[in-house]
Amino acid sequence: MMSADYPRSQMAIPVRHPLVHHVNKWVRAVPLYVMLLPTIAYFVIFTYYPLLHSIFISMQNFNLIGNRPYVGLHNYRHVLTDPTFWSSFENTLFLGISILLIGFVAPIIMALSLNEVLSSWLKRTVQMVIYLPHLFSWVVVGGLWIQLLAPDGGLVNAVLQVMGIAPVQFMSDPNLARWVIILVSVWKDVGFNTVIYLAAMVGINPALYESARVDGANRWHEMGYITIPSLARTMQVVGLLSIMGVLRLFDQIYVMRNAVIEPQVNVLMTYVYDMGFQEMNIGRATASALLILIFTLILTLFTQRLIRVDHS
Amino acid sequence: MKSHKRPYFALLSTSVVAGTLFTNSAFAAQPHKIVQEPTLTIATGVIGGKNPQENAAFADEIGQALHCKVQLISTTGNYDQKLMAMLAAGQKIDVVYTEGSTLAQLAKAGEVTNLQSQIHHSAVLGNSRVVPQWEWNDIKLSSPNGQGIYAVPVKYQGALMPIVRGDWMKELHLSEPKTLNDFYHMFQMFKNKKGAYGLTLSSLYDIQPFMSAVGLKNGYELQKGKFTIPYATPAAVPVYAWLHNLYAKGLLDPNFVTNKTSDERNLFLSGRVGMFVYWDAWVPMLNNLAATQGASASFDAEALPGAVGPGGKRLVSKGDTSVFAIPSNAPNKALAFKFLEWWNTRPGEILGSLGVKGLDYTVKHGKYQLTQLGIDDNMDHGDPEPISSYWKNPFPSMQKGYANARAIGVHYGYQPLINSDWNNAQQIIWQYGDDAILGRLSPKAAVADMHAALLKQHYISQ
Repeated sequence: MMSADYPRSQMAIPVRHPLVHHVNKWVRAVPLYVMLLPTIAYFVIFTYYPLLHSIFISMQNFNLIGNRPYVGLHNYRHVLTDPTFWSSFENTLFLGISILLIGFVAPIIMALSLNEVLSSWLKRTVQMVIYLPHLFSWVVVGGLWIQLLAPDGGLVNAVLQVMGIAPVQFMSDPNLARWVIILVSVWKDVGFNTVIYLAAMVGINPALYESARVDGANRWHEMGYITIPSLARTMQVVGLLSIMGVLRLFDQIYVMRNAVIEPQVNVLMTYVYDMGFQEMNIGRATASALLILIFTLILTLFTQRLIRVDHS
Repeated sequence: MKSHKRPYFALLSTSVVAGTLFTNSAFAAQPHKIVQEPTLTIATGVIGGKNPQENAAFADEIGQALHCKVQLISTTGNYDQKLMAMLAAGQKIDVVYTEGSTLAQLAKAGEVTNLQSQIHHSAVLGNSRVVPQWEWNDIKLSSPNGQGIYAVPVKYQGALMPIVRGDWMKELHLSEPKTLNDFYHMFQMFKNKKGAYGLTLSSLYDIQPFMSAVGLKNGYELQKGKFTIPYATPAAVPVYAWLHNLYAKGLLDPNFVTNKTSDERNLFLSGRVGMFVYWDAWVPMLNNLAATQGASASFDAEALPGAVGPGGKRLVSKGDTSVFAIPSNAPNKALAFKFLEWWNTRPGEILGSLGVKGLDYTVKHGKYQLTQLGIDDNMDHGDPEPISSYWKNPFPSMQKGYANARAIGVHYGYQPLINSDWNNAQQIIWQYGDDAILGRLSPKAAVADMHAALLKQHYISQ
C-alpha cells in the first residue's frame, strides 16, 4: 500500500549498494590523489624518511666510515647530562623569548605608525627600506653589524666618540653582545612582519572607521577599538610562526659569535652544530637535534592550545 | 587464434632479448675493448685554482700525469664540515685534504688508512730529502697513540711568526726586539711616529711569539703521562698582563676579538698596524701584494723570531700540518697513493705552486714566465712552498723576505701537541685569555678560571 503513494518515476530509481557508492567516490578521487603524489613523495623523501633515519642514527655510535654500533639511549643520556646543553638551552630561551617579544611588538607599532602616514610614496619608501634587511643573508647582516659596532673604525663608536663617549666593545662584552644579537635579529625581520600587518589592515572594513567617526571616535579610539582588534587573527598566526622558530636560532649566532661571548650566546642549534661538525660526534648531535624537535613540538602544541589559532 | 599467437610472440621476443644480451657480452669480451680510465676523486679546500675553470684545468693536469680521470671536489668555506658531510653520506673519495687536528679525529675513528708501510717502501716519500723525518714525526702526533702515519704532507707548512714593517723599523732605527719590553717600545714608536697600532691579533690564535718570553708552548704538554695546557698555567700570567697593558695603552688593535686573519692582513697592508703574527710563506706574498696593489713603495714585510725566553730559547709554533689522507673506504687506494707520491715530485710541485702550464705560466727556452693569471694567483695553488729540499723556486725575485722567514721557522719552530679535544679546549683558552686582555678579569683570575674550566670538561688531567 505504501508504494502506491510514491510517484512512478521515483520508484524506478535503483537502490545503490553503499559499498558501490563508496567505490565510486574513491574512483572519482583517484586523479586528485595522483596529483597529490609529487607532494607526498617530496615529504616522504626529504622530511619523513630523514626524520625516521635520524632516530636510528641517534642510537648509534655513528662513525663516518665503517661500523656504526647501536648504543641504545646512551647518546640521549649524554646530551641530557651535559651542562653545555643546558646552558645552551638557557641561552636559547633568553635570546629566543626576547626576540619573540620584541619582534612581535615592533612590527605592530611599525605597521600602525605607517598606516597613519598619508603620503603614499613616503609610506612605500619606508616599507621598502625596512623590508630590505630581510632579503640579505645572515652572513651579510652579521658581518655588517660587526663592522658597524667595531671599537676601531666602526660607525657607532665613531658617533659615540664625537659625543664624548669612550668606545664600547659591543661584540666582546657578553651582556651587550646578547642584546646586539637580539636587536639585530628584530631589525632584520621587522619589515617582513610589518608588511603582513599592513596587508591585514587593508582588509579592515572602512565602514567601521566611518561609523566610529560618526560616533565621535578620534584616531586613538579607532586604533584601539578597530585596528588592533581586527589584527588579532594575524597576530595569532605571526605569533605562532615566531614561537616555532624560538628554538631554531642558529644563523645569527653562528655568524656573530666569538670566543669571548660564546658561553652567553651559544644556543641549542649551535650545540648541535659544534657536536656534529667540530667534535664529529654525529650520534650525539642527532640525539640533541631530536630533543630540540621534541621541545619545539611541545612548545607549538602548547601555543596552539593557548591561542587556538584554528578556532573562530 | 589470438590465444595461439601469444606463446610464439613471447618466444620470439625472449629470443631477441637473449640474442642481444649474448651479442653484447660477446662484444664486451673482445680483446680490443676500450679500457676505462680509473677516476681519482680528490676532496680539497685549498688545492687547485681560484675558480671552477682553473680547477678543471688543474684536474686535467693531474689526470694527464697519472693517466686517469680526476674529479676535484673543491669547496672553500667550511671545508671540514663539508668533508664530514660527504664522508658521512657515504661518498667515496680517494684523497682528502685535511689538517692535523681533524686528521687526529679521523685516524682515531679508523676512517683513514695507515700509510706507514707504503711510505717506508716508496722511492719518493721514503726519501728523507723529499720529506724530512721531522715532518713524519709531526704527522705521527695526530696518530692514535703516536703509532702509524695516516697522511702525507701537502706542503712545507711553515710557522707562525711576527711579521713586521721592516721599512718602519729601519726608518725609526729600531733593532730586532728580544724581550717583551723591546716589543712594547717598538709598538709605542709605531703608534707615536706612524699613527698605527703596534700589533693586531685574531683572538689568541697567534700569541706564541710572546709566550716565548716565558718559554710556554701552544697546545698540550705531556708531563708524567698527564696532559696539561701551558697557556692555562700561572707561568702565562705575565704575558696576559703584558697584552692587557698593550690594549690599555692603545697599542693593540681593539678589534682583535672579532678580527679574522684576513682583517689582520688588510690592516697590515694598509699601514694601519705595524705587526701581526702570521705564516712565514706570507712574507713574500705580502711584499708582492704590496707591490701590485698600491701600498707605499717602501713597503717591506719582514719576519722576526719570538721573544727570548728562559735559557735564551725562542719559540714559534709550526702550523697545523696540511696533509693528504686516504679514506679507509677509498675505491682506488693504489692510485691515490701514486698521486701522493707524484705531488711530491717536481711536476706536482710546479702544479701546486705556479699552477697550470699555459694558464698560469709559460716556459720559453727553459725559462719560466708567469701569466697575468699566474701573477694574480701569487704562485699559490695549494703548495706555495714545497717541502722537498730539491725544490728551487723558479722566481727567486718574488721571494723577498722568505729565506729569513723560513730560517726562523726551521730554527725556532716546534710542532704543537694537539689531540681531538684541542678545538674545544682552545675555545676556553681564548675566552678567558681575551677577557684578561680586555681587562674584564685580572690575568691571574683568568688563568685560574681557564684552568678550572679545562679540568671540569676533562680537557686536561692536571
